[in-house]
Amino acid sequence: MTDPTPAKAAARPDVEVMADLKAALHEVLDPETGVNIVDMGLIYDAQYFPEDRSVEVLMTLTTPACPAGDAITGGVQRRLERVPGVDAVRVQLTFEPRWTRDRISERGKDELGRR
Amino acid sequence: MTPGGLATRHSPSFGLIKAHFGLGLAGMLAFAGALLWHAPSIEGHFFQPALLGLVHLCVLGWFLPITLGAMHQMLPVVFEVPVRSERLAWAAWGVFLVGAAGLIVHLWLLRTGPGLVGSASLLFASLLAYVGNLVATLRRAKEVKLVGAFVVAALAWLVVAAVIGLLLAINLGMPFISGSHLEVLRAHAHAAALGFFGLLIMGVTFRLLEMFLVAYVEQTGPGVAALVLVNVALVALVVGSLLGAFAWLGPLAAALALAGVLAFLVQVARIFRARLRKRTDVAWWHTGASFGYLVAAVLLGGALASSRVDAALTVRLELAYGFLALPGFIGSVIVGQLSKIWPFLVWFHTFSAYVGLKEVPTASELLPEGRQRAQWLAMHAGYGAFLVGVLLPSVAVRVVGAVAFALSALVFAANMLKVARSRP
Repeated sequence: MTDPTPAKAAARPDVEVMADLKAALHEVLDPETGVNIVDMGLIYDAQYFPEDRSVEVLMTLTTPACPAGDAITGGVQRRLERVPGVDAVRVQLTFEPRWTRDRISERGKDELGRR
Repeated sequence: MTPGGLATRHSPSFGLIKAHFGLGLAGMLAFAGALLWHAPSIEGHFFQPALLGLVHLCVLGWFLPITLGAMHQMLPVVFEVPVRSERLAWAAWGVFLVGAAGLIVHLWLLRTGPGLVGSASLLFASLLAYVGNLVATLRRAKEVKLVGAFVVAALAWLVVAAVIGLLLAINLGMPFISGSHLEVLRAHAHAAALGFFGLLIMGVTFRLLEMFLVAYVEQTGPGVAALVLVNVALVALVVGSLLGAFAWLGPLAAALALAGVLAFLVQVARIFRARLRKRTDVAWWHTGASFGYLVAAVLLGGALASSRVDAALTVRLELAYGFLALPGFIGSVIVGQLSKIWPFLVWFHTFSAYVGLKEVPTASELLPEGRQRAQWLAMHAGYGAFLVGVLLPSVAVRVVGAVAFALSALVFAANMLKVARSRP
Protein backbone atom coordinates (compact mmCIF):
# COMPACT_ATOMS: atom_id res chain seq x y z
CA MET A 1 0.00 0.00 0.00
CA THR A 2 1.30 3.45 -0.92
CA ASP A 3 1.78 6.12 1.73
CA PRO A 4 -0.66 8.96 0.77
CA THR A 5 1.64 11.69 2.18
CA PRO A 6 4.70 12.75 0.18
CA ALA A 7 8.03 11.67 1.51
CA LYS A 8 9.72 14.41 3.52
CA ALA A 9 13.26 14.91 4.61
CA ALA A 10 14.04 13.95 8.15
CA ALA A 11 12.76 16.63 10.55
CA ARG A 12 15.43 19.19 11.56
CA PRO A 13 15.46 21.26 14.73
CA ASP A 14 13.75 24.61 14.12
CA VAL A 15 16.78 26.50 15.32
CA GLU A 16 18.94 24.84 12.65
CA VAL A 17 16.46 25.66 9.90
CA MET A 18 16.27 29.28 11.09
CA ALA A 19 20.07 29.57 11.05
CA ASP A 20 20.17 28.18 7.52
CA LEU A 21 17.44 30.57 6.41
CA LYS A 22 19.37 33.52 7.80
CA ALA A 23 22.54 32.40 6.06
CA ALA A 24 20.63 31.81 2.82
CA LEU A 25 19.20 35.34 2.86
CA HIS A 26 22.74 36.68 3.22
CA GLU A 27 23.62 34.91 -0.03
CA VAL A 28 21.13 36.92 -2.10
CA LEU A 29 22.95 39.97 -3.40
CA ASP A 30 21.82 43.28 -4.81
CA PRO A 31 22.90 42.79 -8.45
CA GLU A 32 24.33 46.30 -8.82
CA THR A 33 26.10 46.91 -5.52
CA GLY A 34 26.95 43.30 -4.72
CA VAL A 35 25.91 43.84 -1.08
CA ASN A 36 23.60 41.19 0.38
CA ILE A 37 19.96 42.12 0.89
CA VAL A 38 20.05 41.62 4.66
CA ASP A 39 22.79 44.19 5.13
CA MET A 40 21.03 46.44 2.62
CA GLY A 41 18.12 46.44 5.08
CA LEU A 42 15.61 44.99 2.62
CA ILE A 43 14.37 42.20 4.90
CA TYR A 44 11.73 43.41 7.37
CA ASP A 45 10.79 40.03 8.80
CA ALA A 46 11.32 36.31 8.18
CA GLN A 47 9.37 33.62 10.02
CA TYR A 48 9.55 29.87 9.92
CA PHE A 49 6.40 27.83 10.60
CA PRO A 50 7.44 24.32 11.68
CA GLU A 51 3.90 22.95 11.52
CA ASP A 52 3.79 23.17 7.71
CA ARG A 53 7.55 23.74 7.18
CA SER A 54 6.90 27.06 5.45
CA VAL A 55 8.70 30.38 5.48
CA GLU A 56 7.18 33.81 5.22
CA VAL A 57 9.41 36.74 4.27
CA LEU A 58 8.31 40.35 4.49
CA MET A 59 10.69 42.51 2.51
CA THR A 60 11.04 45.74 0.60
CA LEU A 61 13.08 47.24 -2.21
CA THR A 62 15.10 50.44 -2.18
CA THR A 63 12.35 51.99 -4.32
CA PRO A 64 9.09 50.65 -5.80
CA ALA A 65 10.69 51.37 -9.18
CA CYS A 66 13.77 49.27 -8.38
CA PRO A 67 14.74 47.74 -11.73
CA ALA A 68 16.13 44.69 -9.96
CA GLY A 69 12.88 44.02 -8.07
CA ASP A 70 11.98 40.76 -9.82
CA ALA A 71 15.52 39.46 -9.62
CA ILE A 72 15.80 40.08 -5.89
CA THR A 73 12.40 38.75 -4.81
CA GLY A 74 12.71 35.79 -7.17
CA GLY A 75 16.19 35.13 -5.83
CA VAL A 76 14.90 35.09 -2.23
CA GLN A 77 12.16 32.65 -3.22
CA ARG A 78 14.49 30.27 -5.04
CA ARG A 79 17.27 30.38 -2.44
CA LEU A 80 14.97 29.74 0.53
CA GLU A 81 13.24 26.87 -1.27
CA ARG A 82 16.60 25.13 -1.32
CA VAL A 83 17.01 25.20 2.47
CA PRO A 84 16.57 21.67 3.91
CA GLY A 85 13.45 21.50 6.03
CA VAL A 86 11.54 24.10 4.03
CA ASP A 87 8.59 23.04 1.87
CA ALA A 88 7.02 26.38 0.97
CA VAL A 89 8.18 29.98 0.74
CA ARG A 90 5.97 33.05 0.66
CA VAL A 91 7.68 36.35 -0.18
CA GLN A 92 5.62 39.40 0.56
CA LEU A 93 6.67 42.82 -0.68
CA THR A 94 5.80 45.98 1.19
CA PHE A 95 6.66 49.65 0.93
CA GLU A 96 5.31 50.52 4.37
CA PRO A 97 7.52 51.77 5.80
CA ARG A 98 9.55 52.94 2.81
CA TRP A 99 13.18 51.85 2.74
CA THR A 100 15.69 54.53 3.68
CA ARG A 101 19.47 54.41 3.73
CA ASP A 102 19.31 54.30 7.54
CA ARG A 103 18.28 50.67 7.19
CA ILE A 104 21.68 49.69 5.78
CA SER A 105 23.75 47.93 8.42
CA GLU A 106 27.21 49.16 9.41
CA ARG A 107 28.67 46.15 7.59
CA GLY A 108 26.61 47.05 4.52
CA LYS A 109 27.87 50.62 4.64
CA ASP A 110 31.45 49.41 4.93
CA GLU A 111 30.96 47.12 1.97
CA LEU A 112 29.31 49.85 -0.11
CA GLY A 113 32.23 52.11 0.70
CA ARG A 114 34.60 49.58 -0.85
CA ARG A 115 32.54 48.96 -4.01
CA MET B 1 4.93 32.24 -5.27
CA THR B 2 7.12 34.89 -6.73
CA PRO B 3 5.64 38.35 -6.29
CA GLY B 4 4.75 40.10 -9.52
CA GLY B 5 7.44 42.26 -11.04
CA LEU B 6 7.49 45.94 -10.24
CA ALA B 7 9.42 48.06 -12.65
CA THR B 8 10.09 45.17 -14.95
CA ARG B 9 6.45 44.52 -15.63
CA HIS B 10 6.41 48.01 -17.14
CA SER B 11 9.57 47.61 -19.20
CA PRO B 12 9.23 47.24 -22.96
CA SER B 13 10.59 44.16 -24.72
CA PHE B 14 14.36 43.76 -24.59
CA GLY B 15 14.32 43.55 -28.40
CA LEU B 16 13.15 47.17 -28.70
CA ILE B 17 15.98 48.38 -26.49
CA LYS B 18 18.52 46.20 -28.28
CA ALA B 19 17.38 47.57 -31.66
CA HIS B 20 17.98 51.14 -30.46
CA PHE B 21 21.31 50.43 -28.74
CA GLY B 22 22.53 48.31 -31.67
CA LEU B 23 21.72 51.08 -34.14
CA GLY B 24 23.45 53.65 -31.94
CA LEU B 25 26.54 51.48 -31.59
CA ALA B 26 26.71 51.03 -35.37
CA GLY B 27 26.26 54.80 -35.68
CA MET B 28 29.14 55.41 -33.26
CA LEU B 29 31.45 53.14 -35.30
CA ALA B 30 30.35 54.81 -38.54
CA PHE B 31 30.98 58.24 -37.01
CA ALA B 32 34.42 57.18 -35.78
CA GLY B 33 35.31 55.91 -39.28
CA ALA B 34 33.92 59.03 -40.96
CA LEU B 35 35.76 61.32 -38.52
CA LEU B 36 39.03 59.54 -39.27
CA TRP B 37 38.45 59.65 -43.00
CA HIS B 38 37.43 63.30 -42.96
CA ALA B 39 39.88 64.53 -40.24
CA PRO B 40 42.40 66.07 -42.69
CA SER B 41 39.73 68.38 -44.17
CA ILE B 42 38.01 69.51 -40.96
CA GLU B 43 39.13 73.11 -41.26
CA GLY B 44 37.49 76.39 -42.14
CA HIS B 45 33.87 77.35 -41.64
CA PHE B 46 31.59 74.70 -40.16
CA PHE B 47 28.95 75.10 -42.87
CA GLN B 48 30.36 72.53 -45.28
CA PRO B 49 28.44 69.56 -46.74
CA ALA B 50 30.69 66.87 -45.30
CA LEU B 51 30.73 68.50 -41.86
CA LEU B 52 26.95 68.78 -41.86
CA GLY B 53 26.78 65.10 -42.75
CA LEU B 54 29.36 64.23 -40.08
CA VAL B 55 27.53 66.16 -37.35
CA HIS B 56 24.21 64.54 -38.25
CA LEU B 57 25.86 61.11 -38.35
CA CYS B 58 27.14 61.80 -34.83
CA VAL B 59 23.79 63.03 -33.49
CA LEU B 60 21.30 60.93 -35.44
CA GLY B 61 23.45 57.86 -35.92
CA TRP B 62 25.16 57.60 -32.55
CA PHE B 63 23.45 59.76 -29.88
CA LEU B 64 19.77 59.67 -30.68
CA PRO B 65 19.11 55.91 -31.07
CA ILE B 66 20.92 55.16 -27.79
CA THR B 67 19.19 58.04 -26.00
CA LEU B 68 15.74 57.04 -27.28
CA GLY B 69 16.39 53.40 -26.36
CA ALA B 70 17.49 54.42 -22.87
CA MET B 71 14.39 56.61 -22.49
CA HIS B 72 12.11 53.69 -23.40
CA GLN B 73 13.87 51.61 -20.75
CA MET B 74 14.26 54.27 -18.06
CA LEU B 75 10.95 56.14 -18.13
CA PRO B 76 8.80 53.10 -17.32
CA VAL B 77 11.19 52.27 -14.47
CA VAL B 78 11.40 55.78 -13.03
CA PHE B 79 7.72 56.68 -13.44
CA GLU B 80 6.25 53.20 -12.94
CA VAL B 81 4.20 53.20 -16.12
CA PRO B 82 4.53 51.09 -19.27
CA VAL B 83 5.45 52.65 -22.60
CA ARG B 84 2.15 53.84 -24.11
CA SER B 85 2.58 51.87 -27.34
CA GLU B 86 5.46 49.56 -28.06
CA ARG B 87 4.17 49.06 -31.60
CA LEU B 88 4.42 52.81 -32.23
CA ALA B 89 7.96 52.79 -30.81
CA TRP B 90 8.94 50.06 -33.28
CA ALA B 91 7.32 51.94 -36.16
CA ALA B 92 9.11 55.14 -35.13
CA TRP B 93 12.42 53.23 -35.02
CA GLY B 94 11.95 51.95 -38.58
CA VAL B 95 10.95 55.35 -39.99
CA PHE B 96 13.77 57.01 -38.04
CA LEU B 97 16.32 54.62 -39.54
CA VAL B 98 15.27 55.41 -43.13
CA GLY B 99 14.86 59.16 -42.51
CA ALA B 100 18.12 59.62 -40.60
CA ALA B 101 20.17 57.60 -43.11
CA GLY B 102 18.68 59.55 -46.01
CA LEU B 103 19.26 62.90 -44.32
CA ILE B 104 22.91 62.13 -43.47
CA VAL B 105 23.72 61.01 -47.02
CA HIS B 106 21.92 63.96 -48.63
CA LEU B 107 23.62 66.48 -46.34
CA TRP B 108 27.04 64.91 -46.85
CA LEU B 109 26.66 65.12 -50.64
CA LEU B 110 24.68 68.39 -50.39
CA ARG B 111 21.91 66.96 -52.56
CA THR B 112 19.13 69.42 -51.89
CA GLY B 113 15.64 68.87 -53.19
CA PRO B 114 13.00 66.14 -52.85
CA GLY B 115 15.40 63.50 -51.48
CA LEU B 116 16.59 65.72 -48.65
CA VAL B 117 13.12 67.06 -47.87
CA GLY B 118 11.65 63.55 -48.02
CA SER B 119 14.30 62.19 -45.63
CA ALA B 120 13.88 65.16 -43.28
CA SER B 121 10.09 64.65 -43.35
CA LEU B 122 10.44 60.97 -42.44
CA LEU B 123 12.81 61.87 -39.64
CA PHE B 124 10.44 64.58 -38.44
CA ALA B 125 7.49 62.15 -38.48
CA SER B 126 9.46 59.55 -36.52
CA LEU B 127 10.53 62.08 -33.90
CA LEU B 128 6.95 63.28 -33.48
CA ALA B 129 5.87 59.65 -33.02
CA TYR B 130 8.59 59.09 -30.42
CA VAL B 131 7.73 62.29 -28.53
CA GLY B 132 3.96 61.62 -28.69
CA ASN B 133 4.45 58.10 -27.38
CA LEU B 134 6.75 59.20 -24.54
CA VAL B 135 4.51 62.12 -23.53
CA ALA B 136 1.50 59.75 -23.51
CA THR B 137 3.58 57.43 -21.31
CA LEU B 138 4.44 60.23 -18.88
CA ARG B 139 0.81 61.39 -18.69
CA ARG B 140 -0.04 58.09 -16.98
CA ALA B 141 2.57 58.64 -14.26
CA LYS B 142 1.23 59.33 -10.78
CA GLU B 143 4.11 61.62 -9.90
CA VAL B 144 6.46 63.40 -12.28
CA LYS B 145 8.85 65.30 -9.95
CA LEU B 146 12.02 67.13 -10.99
CA VAL B 147 13.37 64.40 -13.27
CA GLY B 148 10.06 64.35 -15.14
CA ALA B 149 10.12 68.13 -15.57
CA PHE B 150 13.57 67.85 -17.19
CA VAL B 151 12.32 65.05 -19.46
CA VAL B 152 9.21 66.99 -20.55
CA ALA B 153 11.27 70.12 -21.25
CA ALA B 154 13.80 68.03 -23.21
CA LEU B 155 11.05 66.51 -25.35
CA ALA B 156 9.62 69.96 -26.04
CA TRP B 157 13.05 71.14 -27.26
CA LEU B 158 13.36 68.02 -29.41
CA VAL B 159 10.17 69.07 -31.19
CA VAL B 160 11.53 72.61 -31.61
CA ALA B 161 14.79 71.23 -33.04
CA ALA B 162 12.89 68.88 -35.37
CA VAL B 163 10.58 71.64 -36.68
CA ILE B 164 13.47 74.04 -37.34
CA GLY B 165 15.53 71.21 -38.86
CA LEU B 166 12.75 70.35 -41.32
CA LEU B 167 12.39 74.02 -42.30
CA LEU B 168 16.16 74.27 -42.83
CA ALA B 169 16.14 71.17 -45.04
CA ILE B 170 13.38 72.69 -47.18
CA ASN B 171 15.19 76.04 -47.21
CA LEU B 172 18.36 74.47 -48.66
CA GLY B 173 16.54 73.48 -51.86
CA MET B 174 13.77 76.07 -51.96
CA PRO B 175 14.97 79.16 -50.05
CA PHE B 176 12.11 80.84 -48.22
CA ILE B 177 13.66 81.90 -44.89
CA SER B 178 14.12 85.66 -45.11
CA GLY B 179 16.83 85.83 -42.43
CA SER B 180 20.22 84.15 -42.35
CA HIS B 181 20.20 80.35 -42.77
CA LEU B 182 23.13 80.15 -40.33
CA GLU B 183 21.28 82.06 -37.61
CA VAL B 184 18.37 79.60 -37.87
CA LEU B 185 20.88 76.73 -37.92
CA ARG B 186 22.26 78.03 -34.61
CA ALA B 187 18.77 77.86 -33.08
CA HIS B 188 18.31 74.31 -34.42
CA ALA B 189 21.67 73.10 -33.12
CA HIS B 190 21.22 74.52 -29.63
CA ALA B 191 17.61 73.36 -29.32
CA ALA B 192 18.88 69.85 -30.07
CA ALA B 193 22.18 69.83 -28.17
CA LEU B 194 21.43 71.83 -25.04
CA GLY B 195 17.62 71.70 -25.17
CA PHE B 196 17.03 68.02 -25.78
CA PHE B 197 20.26 66.23 -24.90
CA GLY B 198 21.48 68.70 -22.28
CA LEU B 199 18.27 68.88 -20.26
CA LEU B 200 17.65 65.15 -20.57
CA ILE B 201 21.18 64.34 -19.41
CA MET B 202 20.84 66.71 -16.47
CA GLY B 203 17.54 65.27 -15.26
CA VAL B 204 18.51 61.64 -15.78
CA THR B 205 21.93 62.15 -14.19
CA PHE B 206 20.27 63.08 -10.88
CA ARG B 207 18.31 59.83 -10.95
CA LEU B 208 21.14 57.58 -12.14
CA LEU B 209 23.58 59.01 -9.61
CA GLU B 210 21.11 58.29 -6.80
CA MET B 211 20.41 54.79 -8.10
CA PHE B 212 23.93 53.59 -8.81
CA LEU B 213 25.79 55.39 -6.02
CA VAL B 214 23.08 54.82 -3.36
CA ALA B 215 22.69 58.50 -2.57
CA TYR B 216 19.58 60.43 -1.63
CA VAL B 217 19.34 64.19 -1.36
CA GLU B 218 16.09 65.83 -0.32
CA GLN B 219 16.92 69.40 -1.39
CA THR B 220 16.54 69.91 -5.11
CA GLY B 221 16.86 73.72 -5.19
CA PRO B 222 19.95 73.84 -7.44
CA GLY B 223 18.36 71.24 -9.73
CA VAL B 224 15.22 73.37 -10.10
CA ALA B 225 17.38 76.46 -10.71
CA ALA B 226 19.28 74.59 -13.44
CA LEU B 227 16.03 73.63 -15.14
CA VAL B 228 14.75 77.22 -15.14
CA LEU B 229 18.03 78.89 -16.08
CA VAL B 230 18.86 76.56 -18.98
CA ASN B 231 15.34 76.84 -20.39
CA VAL B 232 15.38 80.65 -20.21
CA ALA B 233 18.84 80.63 -21.79
CA LEU B 234 17.55 78.49 -24.64
CA VAL B 235 14.53 80.72 -25.21
CA ALA B 236 16.83 83.77 -25.35
CA LEU B 237 19.21 82.00 -27.74
CA VAL B 238 16.52 80.66 -30.08
CA VAL B 239 14.48 83.88 -30.11
CA GLY B 240 17.66 85.94 -30.56
CA SER B 241 18.77 83.75 -33.48
CA LEU B 242 15.37 83.65 -35.21
CA LEU B 243 14.59 87.35 -34.78
CA GLY B 244 18.03 88.70 -35.58
CA ALA B 245 18.64 89.86 -32.02
CA PHE B 246 21.48 87.47 -31.18
CA ALA B 247 24.00 90.28 -30.75
CA TRP B 248 22.48 91.27 -27.41
CA LEU B 249 20.47 88.14 -26.51
CA GLY B 250 23.40 85.79 -27.26
CA PRO B 251 25.65 86.93 -24.38
CA LEU B 252 22.65 86.92 -22.05
CA ALA B 253 21.79 83.36 -23.12
CA ALA B 254 25.40 82.28 -22.58
CA ALA B 255 25.47 83.79 -19.08
CA LEU B 256 22.16 82.11 -18.16
CA ALA B 257 23.34 78.78 -19.58
CA LEU B 258 26.56 79.00 -17.57
CA ALA B 259 24.59 79.77 -14.41
CA GLY B 260 22.27 76.84 -15.18
CA VAL B 261 25.16 74.45 -15.73
CA LEU B 262 26.80 75.55 -12.49
CA ALA B 263 23.51 75.04 -10.59
CA PHE B 264 23.29 71.56 -12.15
CA LEU B 265 26.84 70.79 -11.01
CA VAL B 266 26.03 71.99 -7.47
CA GLN B 267 23.11 69.51 -7.35
CA VAL B 268 25.36 66.76 -8.74
CA ALA B 269 28.02 67.56 -6.13
CA ARG B 270 25.43 67.32 -3.34
CA ILE B 271 24.27 63.92 -4.53
CA PHE B 272 27.85 62.79 -4.99
CA ARG B 273 28.81 63.84 -1.47
CA ALA B 274 25.82 61.98 -0.02
CA ARG B 275 26.67 58.71 -1.76
CA LEU B 276 27.18 55.58 0.29
CA ARG B 277 29.00 53.85 -2.52
CA LYS B 278 32.37 55.54 -2.41
CA ARG B 279 34.23 53.93 -5.26
CA THR B 280 33.48 55.40 -8.66
CA ASP B 281 33.95 53.21 -11.70
CA VAL B 282 34.95 54.07 -15.27
CA ALA B 283 31.37 54.85 -16.27
CA TRP B 284 31.42 57.76 -13.81
CA TRP B 285 34.83 58.87 -15.06
CA HIS B 286 33.20 59.32 -18.49
CA THR B 287 30.39 61.29 -16.89
CA GLY B 288 32.84 63.44 -14.92
CA ALA B 289 34.84 64.15 -18.10
CA SER B 290 31.62 65.04 -19.91
CA PHE B 291 30.83 67.71 -17.32
CA GLY B 292 34.29 69.18 -17.95
CA TYR B 293 33.54 69.34 -21.70
CA LEU B 294 30.15 70.91 -20.91
CA VAL B 295 31.64 73.71 -18.81
CA ALA B 296 34.36 74.32 -21.43
CA ALA B 297 31.75 74.43 -24.21
CA VAL B 298 29.51 76.88 -22.34
CA LEU B 299 32.47 79.16 -21.53
CA LEU B 300 33.69 79.03 -25.12
CA GLY B 301 30.16 79.61 -26.43
CA GLY B 302 29.85 82.64 -24.18
CA ALA B 303 33.18 84.00 -25.41
CA LEU B 304 32.15 83.48 -29.05
CA ALA B 305 28.79 85.17 -28.45
CA SER B 306 30.18 88.22 -26.67
CA SER B 307 33.51 89.06 -28.25
CA ARG B 308 34.90 89.61 -31.70
CA VAL B 309 38.13 87.85 -32.53
CA ASP B 310 39.77 87.50 -35.91
CA ALA B 311 37.79 85.44 -38.44
CA ALA B 312 40.36 82.65 -38.86
CA LEU B 313 40.47 82.05 -35.11
CA THR B 314 36.68 82.27 -34.84
CA VAL B 315 36.10 79.40 -37.28
CA ARG B 316 38.56 77.22 -35.35
CA LEU B 317 36.94 78.10 -32.04
CA GLU B 318 33.51 77.33 -33.49
CA LEU B 319 34.69 73.89 -34.59
CA ALA B 320 36.18 73.30 -31.12
CA TYR B 321 32.90 74.48 -29.55
CA GLY B 322 30.92 71.94 -31.59
CA PHE B 323 33.38 69.16 -30.77
CA LEU B 324 33.32 69.94 -27.03
CA ALA B 325 29.51 70.00 -26.96
CA LEU B 326 28.76 66.97 -29.15
CA PRO B 327 31.29 64.12 -28.91
CA GLY B 328 32.76 65.72 -25.77
CA PHE B 329 29.77 66.36 -23.54
CA ILE B 330 26.97 64.25 -25.04
CA GLY B 331 29.14 61.42 -26.41
CA SER B 332 30.98 60.92 -23.12
CA VAL B 333 27.77 60.76 -21.09
CA ILE B 334 26.26 58.28 -23.51
CA VAL B 335 29.30 55.99 -23.42
CA GLY B 336 29.48 56.27 -19.62
CA GLN B 337 25.82 55.61 -18.93
CA LEU B 338 25.55 52.85 -21.52
CA SER B 339 28.43 51.16 -19.67
CA LYS B 340 26.12 51.05 -16.62
CA ILE B 341 22.73 50.39 -18.24
CA TRP B 342 23.71 47.72 -20.79
CA PRO B 343 25.43 45.29 -18.35
CA PHE B 344 22.47 45.67 -15.99
CA LEU B 345 19.93 44.89 -18.73
CA VAL B 346 21.92 41.89 -19.96
CA TRP B 347 22.33 40.70 -16.38
CA PHE B 348 18.62 41.07 -15.79
CA HIS B 349 17.59 39.15 -18.91
CA THR B 350 20.31 36.50 -18.70
CA PHE B 351 21.27 35.96 -15.08
CA SER B 352 18.42 37.08 -12.84
CA ALA B 353 16.53 33.79 -13.15
CA TYR B 354 19.54 32.02 -11.61
CA VAL B 355 19.74 34.17 -8.47
CA GLY B 356 19.18 31.87 -5.52
CA LEU B 357 19.97 28.77 -7.56
CA LYS B 358 23.67 29.27 -8.21
CA GLU B 359 26.35 31.90 -7.86
CA VAL B 360 25.93 34.64 -10.46
CA PRO B 361 28.15 37.64 -11.14
CA THR B 362 26.96 41.16 -10.37
CA ALA B 363 26.02 43.37 -13.31
CA SER B 364 29.23 45.37 -13.11
CA GLU B 365 31.34 42.20 -13.17
CA LEU B 366 30.13 41.49 -16.72
CA LEU B 367 32.33 44.30 -18.04
CA PRO B 368 36.03 43.94 -17.16
CA GLU B 369 37.36 47.15 -15.58
CA GLY B 370 40.71 46.98 -17.41
CA ARG B 371 39.10 47.07 -20.86
CA GLN B 372 36.90 49.97 -19.78
CA ARG B 373 39.90 51.93 -18.52
CA ALA B 374 41.72 51.38 -21.84
CA GLN B 375 38.63 52.60 -23.70
CA TRP B 376 38.31 55.69 -21.45
CA LEU B 377 41.94 56.59 -21.94
CA ALA B 378 41.85 56.19 -25.74
CA MET B 379 38.61 58.14 -26.04
CA HIS B 380 39.62 61.18 -24.00
CA ALA B 381 43.21 61.23 -25.27
CA GLY B 382 41.70 61.15 -28.77
CA TYR B 383 39.31 63.99 -27.93
CA GLY B 384 42.15 66.07 -26.49
CA ALA B 385 44.38 65.50 -29.52
CA PHE B 386 41.55 66.23 -31.93
CA LEU B 387 40.73 69.51 -30.19
CA VAL B 388 44.39 70.55 -30.26
CA GLY B 389 44.50 69.61 -33.94
CA VAL B 390 41.47 71.79 -34.63
CA LEU B 391 42.85 74.78 -32.72
CA LEU B 392 46.44 74.74 -34.08
CA PRO B 393 45.29 73.75 -36.80
CA SER B 394 47.24 70.55 -37.56
CA VAL B 395 46.14 67.70 -39.82
CA ALA B 396 48.58 65.25 -38.23
CA VAL B 397 47.36 65.93 -34.67
CA ARG B 398 43.71 65.68 -35.78
CA VAL B 399 44.40 62.34 -37.45
CA VAL B 400 46.13 61.05 -34.30
CA GLY B 401 43.09 62.13 -32.29
CA ALA B 402 40.68 60.52 -34.75
CA VAL B 403 42.69 57.27 -34.72
CA ALA B 404 42.61 57.15 -30.92
CA PHE B 405 38.86 57.84 -30.90
CA ALA B 406 38.26 55.16 -33.56
CA LEU B 407 40.21 52.65 -31.43
CA SER B 408 38.17 53.63 -28.38
CA ALA B 409 34.94 53.16 -30.34
CA LEU B 410 36.08 49.69 -31.43
CA VAL B 411 36.99 48.73 -27.84
CA PHE B 412 33.67 50.10 -26.61
CA ALA B 413 31.72 48.09 -29.21
CA ALA B 414 33.76 44.98 -28.33
CA ASN B 415 33.01 45.56 -24.63
CA MET B 416 29.29 45.86 -25.29
CA LEU B 417 29.39 42.72 -27.43
CA LYS B 418 31.25 40.83 -24.72
CA VAL B 419 28.56 41.80 -22.22
CA ALA B 420 25.82 40.71 -24.64
CA ARG B 421 27.46 37.29 -24.95
CA SER B 422 27.69 36.70 -21.20
CA ARG B 423 26.12 33.42 -20.13
CA PRO B 424 25.50 31.92 -16.66
